[in-house]
Amino acid sequence: MFPVNNRYVYGVVEGDPIEFETDAVGGASVVYTISHRRLGAVVSDIDTTDPEETDEDATRHDEVLRRIMNDGDGRAVVPMQFGMAFESDRALKNVLRGALPAFRRALNDVEGRVELGVKIVRAEDADVDADAVTERIADELEPIAAQSVGNDLFSDRLVLNRSYLVDREDREAFDEAIARLEEDEDDLVVRYTGPFAPYSFVDVTIGAQR
Amino acid sequence: MAQPQRRPDSSSLAEVLDRILDKGVVIDIWARVSVVGIELLTVEARVVVASVDTFLHYAEEIAKIEQATAEGELEELEELEVERRPESSPQSASE
Repeated sequence: MFPVNNRYVYGVVEGDPIEFETDAVGGASVVYTISHRRLGAVVSDIDTTDPEETDEDATRHDEVLRRIMNDGDGRAVVPMQFGMAFESDRALKNVLRGALPAFRRALNDVEGRVELGVKIVRAEDADVDADAVTERIADELEPIAAQSVGNDLFSDRLVLNRSYLVDREDREAFDEAIARLEEDEDDLVVRYTGPFAPYSFVDVTIGAQR
Repeated sequence: MAQPQRRPDSSSLAEVLDRILDKGVVIDIWARVSVVGIELLTVEARVVVASVDTFLHYAEEIAKIEQATAEGELEELEELEVERRPESSPQSASE
């Protein structure tokens, strides 16, 4: 048996505690919540504060968040970046207490919403007016989305790369807008992904003053 | 006529990695291992499309934290927040 008094944190929820069995990060098998007042950190036990980044564990982290997001009618969760492991429950509760207002606001921002990704790629040899395409897409998608954020255009064939925060009840309208874009724009390949936990819409950084 | 069906693809590992390794809440190692006598700094940049104006406001708030820390008045500023203002978010259409 290895010592497992460190806690790997997946995200933060509000309200009822969570507990379920699954393949968790670092070989653990139970995911549960550690609470401070109404806030709960979704955790599993781990033997390090510096977990190694592997595809397998990144996938497990994401799957735990998806499971919570898809629970019942959908539950709000503020996702952590990969690797947020705490030395002790005390350190974790200290952060929940100290950053409680920030977590509350972030939970409020993402309540009832999911993240969707859209990448628009110019077909090979196609001559595309990127500005016109970007404007058309903004006209179609921005009114449906609650928020959006741009991502890196890492290839010159990439015309648009954005993440959208969309209300669950507007998911269908968003799907339909994507379908219309695909039908109308023969020179463009649309890569439509998600739904994800709202990773791109919780810009919170917590540090310790040394 | 029925609308064409289109569902997002949820199975892309690359898309998950893009997000999970680069986005989400970040808590630095000192806040994750320390307990005694620790003071937390929380910065919320609720700014999806940053403008110069927002950046300047943000820089000003950071300076306030540094000053308060030096003077031992951190508690008052614990809930610091940089609000997203309308002029900084041209792409946020639904508000």
